[in-house]
Amino acid sequence: MIELAGLTKKYTDLVAVNDLNIFVPKGEIFGFIGPNGAGKTTTINMMGGIITPTSGRVTICGIRMEEHPEKAKSKIGFIPDRPYLYEKLTAMEFLEFTADLYGVNENDFPARSQEQLEMFLLSEWSGELIESYSHGMKQRLVMAAALLHEPEVIIVDEPMVGLDPVAIKMVKELFLHLAAGGVTIFMSTHTLKVAEDICDRIGVIHKGSLVANGTPEDLRRLTDAGEADLEQVFMRLTEE
Amino acid sequence: MKAVITLLKPRILSFKFKRFSSDNKEALIKLSVFGTIGVLFWGGIFAVSLRVLGYFKGIEELGDILAYKLLSMVLLTFLSVLVFSSILTSLSKLYLSRDLSLVHSMPVSSYKIFIARWIESTIDSSWMLIVYTLPVFISYGIVYQAGMFFYGNIIFVLLSLSIIASGISSLLVMLTVIAIPAGRIKSIFVFLGLIFFLVLFFAFRFLRPERLVDPEVFSTTLIYLKALKTPAPPYLPSTWAFDSLKTILEGKIVKSLFHTSLSWSFAGVVVFINIIIADAVYIKGLSKTQTAPSRLIKRSMSAGRLFFFLSRPVRALAVKEIRTFFRDQTQWSQLFLIGALVVIYVYNFNALPLAKAPIKTVYLQNLLSFLNMGLATFVLTAVSARFAFPAVSSERESFWLVKSAPITLRSFLWIKFFIYFFPLLALTEILIIATNILLKVTPFMMVLSIVNVFFMVPGIVSMGIGFGAAYPDFKSENPAQAVTSFGGLLYMMVCAGYIGTVIVLEAGPVYNLFMADINARVLTVIERIWIFGSFGLAFILSILAVVMPMNFGEKKLANTLL
Repeated sequence: MIELAGLTKKYTDLVAVNDLNIFVPKGEIFGFIGPNGAGKTTTINMMGGIITPTSGRVTICGIRMEEHPEKAKSKIGFIPDRPYLYEKLTAMEFLEFTADLYGVNENDFPARSQEQLEMFLLSEWSGELIESYSHGMKQRLVMAAALLHEPEVIIVDEPMVGLDPVAIKMVKELFLHLAAGGVTIFMSTHTLKVAEDICDRIGVIHKGSLVANGTPEDLRRLTDAGEADLEQVFMRLTEE
Repeated sequence: MKAVITLLKPRILSFKFKRFSSDNKEALIKLSVFGTIGVLFWGGIFAVSLRVLGYFKGIEELGDILAYKLLSMVLLTFLSVLVFSSILTSLSKLYLSRDLSLVHSMPVSSYKIFIARWIESTIDSSWMLIVYTLPVFISYGIVYQAGMFFYGNIIFVLLSLSIIASGISSLLVMLTVIAIPAGRIKSIFVFLGLIFFLVLFFAFRFLRPERLVDPEVFSTTLIYLKALKTPAPPYLPSTWAFDSLKTILEGKIVKSLFHTSLSWSFAGVVVFINIIIADAVYIKGLSKTQTAPSRLIKRSMSAGRLFFFLSRPVRALAVKEIRTFFRDQTQWSQLFLIGALVVIYVYNFNALPLAKAPIKTVYLQNLLSFLNMGLATFVLTAVSARFAFPAVSSERESFWLVKSAPITLRSFLWIKFFIYFFPLLALTEILIIATNILLKVTPFMMVLSIVNVFFMVPGIVSMGIGFGAAYPDFKSENPAQAVTSFGGLLYMMVCAGYIGTVIVLEAGPVYNLFMADINARVLTVIERIWIFGSFGLAFILSILAVVMPMNFGEKKLANTLL
C-alpha cells in the first residue's frame, strides 16, 4: 500500500506539489491524471525516492521513505516517463544489473529474466546493446526490469508512451493481473482511456493540488458530467 | 540566406542567454576565473613570442631565417590543428548532434542546413586557435615594426585559413560517412590524431633537442642552416598565408595582397565545392548515421565472475561501470594516450643529463625523486580529472536508476571511488617506481616515495569523485567535458593546493632524514619532533582529503535535480 501525507515540494518561488494526501490500499490501481506541469512527475519522483519532499511523507508498505529509503525502494518497481538506460549494456546485462541491485535470488534469475524478456517481446534482442533499441523497446525493457524483483508496489509514469497497440493491451492486462495478485499500482497517465479502463480510483492533480479523488463514477458525479467520458470530466476539473 | 540565419538563431540566442542573462554568483566567479586564466595565458604566449623573436632579430643573417622558419612552422601547425579539430567538430555538428532530426524535419533544403552547421563548426573549431595564435603574429608585427596593414592582414589570412581547413575537413567527413558510420569515424579520427601527435612527439623527443645546447653537436649547424632555407611546398594553404605575411613584413604590400587573395580564392572554391557535395551526399550520409550502431566486439565480458567476492549491489555497479567504460570507444583512445604518457614521462627521466650537472649527483637524484612525487601526483590529478571527475556525470540521465534503487548515495560514491582508485594507484606507483629506478635513488627515498604516494592517491581520487558528484552534468553529450566546468576547475585548484601543502610539509623533514642517512648521523630531538609533526599533519590532511570531498559530494548530489 501507498500513503502520501501532506506531501509538498517547493522550488524557490514555485510550489510544484502542495499538501498531497492520498492513500492507495493493497491491490488497487490508482490513476493519477492532470494537465502538463501539474506536478505528476514531481509526485512520482518523490514516491520513488528520487527527490526529497520539502515537507510531508511517503509511506510504502508501512515503511517511511525518509526514514528507511533503501528498504522502501526495495518494495517498489519504478518506471519513469522517459526510459533512460545504460546504453552500453545489453538487455540481459541490464536485467542482471537490476537483479543484483534488488537482491533477486541468483538461482531464480535465469528463468525470471527469460520470462520477463519473453513477456515483453525482447528475448530476440536480449544480447544487443540498449543503444540500438527503439524508444518503445527501451520502455518495455524498463518495465521488465521493474517487475523482475516482484515488487509489492509499482510506481509508473506515463506507461503507454511509445508502446505499440499490442504492447499497450499487454501492459493493461498485466497491470490488472498484478493488482489481482495484491500488487499496488500508482500510475500517472495522459491516456484517459487507459485510466478509465483499468484504474479503480483516479486522482486529479491541478497546479500542484489534488482537486478530485475517487472512482470514475465519483468524478462524474462530482462534476455533474452524467454519462460523459473521463475526458469531459478532466476538462471540467482542470478548466481555468 | 534567410533560412541559414534562422537556423543559426537558436545557437546565437542560447549564447546570448548564457552570457548576458546569467546573474548568478557561480557563473560570474566562473567567468572571472576562466577569464583571468585566459588573459594570463594569452599574455604568456605574447611575452614568450616577443622574447624569442627579439632574440632571433638580434642574430645577424641567421635571425631572419629562423624567424621566418618559425612563422612557416606556426602556420603549418595552425592549419594541421585546425583540420584535425574541424574534422571532429564537423562530424558532431553535421551528423551526431541531438537536434538533427528536428532540424531536418523542417522545410529547408539539406544544403542550407549544411551551410548553417558548417558555419557553426568553423567558428567553434577555430575561434580559440585564432585568439591564442594572435599574440605570436602580433609579436612579428612589433619586432619587425610592421605597419597597420600587417595587423589587418593577419585577421584576413587567419580567417581564410580557417575556412579552408574547415572546408577540407567537412569534405573529408562527408565523403567518409558514405562508407563508415559517423559514430565510428569519430573514434577512428581521434585515434589517428593521437597516433599522429604521439609519432610527432616521439620523433621530436628522440632527436633530443636538449643536445642542441651541447657544443659538440654544433658541427652539423651548416647542414641545419641549409635545411632551414628550403622553401615550403607552394601548394599548401599555409604557404600562401606565410608568403602573404612574410612579404608584408618586408614592405611589399602588393605582393602580400596577391597571396592573401590567392588564399581567399581557394577558400571560396572550397566552400563552393562543399555546397555542391553537400547537396548531393549530405542527407545520404546522415540517413546512414541514423541506423542502429553495431557492436565491434560481440563477446560479453565475464566481469561478474571476476567480482564474485563483492556484495551483489556493489558488484552490480562495479560490473556496469567496467562494461560501459570499455564499450565506449571514446575511452579507448584515452587509455592509449595514458599509456603513451607513462612512456614519455619515464623516458624523460631516462634522458636527464644528471652526470653533467654541477650539483652532486646523489643529492640531485634524490631531490628529483622528491619533487617527482609532486609531479607524478599532478599527472594523477590530470588523469583523475579525465576519468574520476566525470564518473558521476557519466551516469547521464540514467541516474534515476541509482536514485530509485535500494542503495545509498554514499555506497554509490564509494563504489565509484574504488573502481577508479585501484587503477590510478597502480598507474602512479608505476610512474614513481620506474622513475626512481632510473634515477638510482637511495632505498630510503624509494620507500618514502612509494608510501607517500600510497597515502596521497586516495585523496586525489576522492576529490575527483566528490567534486564530480557535487557538480555533475547529467545532460552533457560528452561527460568527459565536465572537467572544464566550474566544479572541474575547483577540483584542480583544491588538488593543487593539497599536493603543494603535502610537499611543503614534507620537504624539510625529508631533507633532514636524507642527510642523516647519507652522513650516518643520529637525528636530534627537535628534528624528530619536527619530522613526526610534519608527517602527522600530512597524514591527517590526506585522511581529510578522502573523507571531506565524499561527504560534500554526497550532500550536494542528494539535492541535485535530474
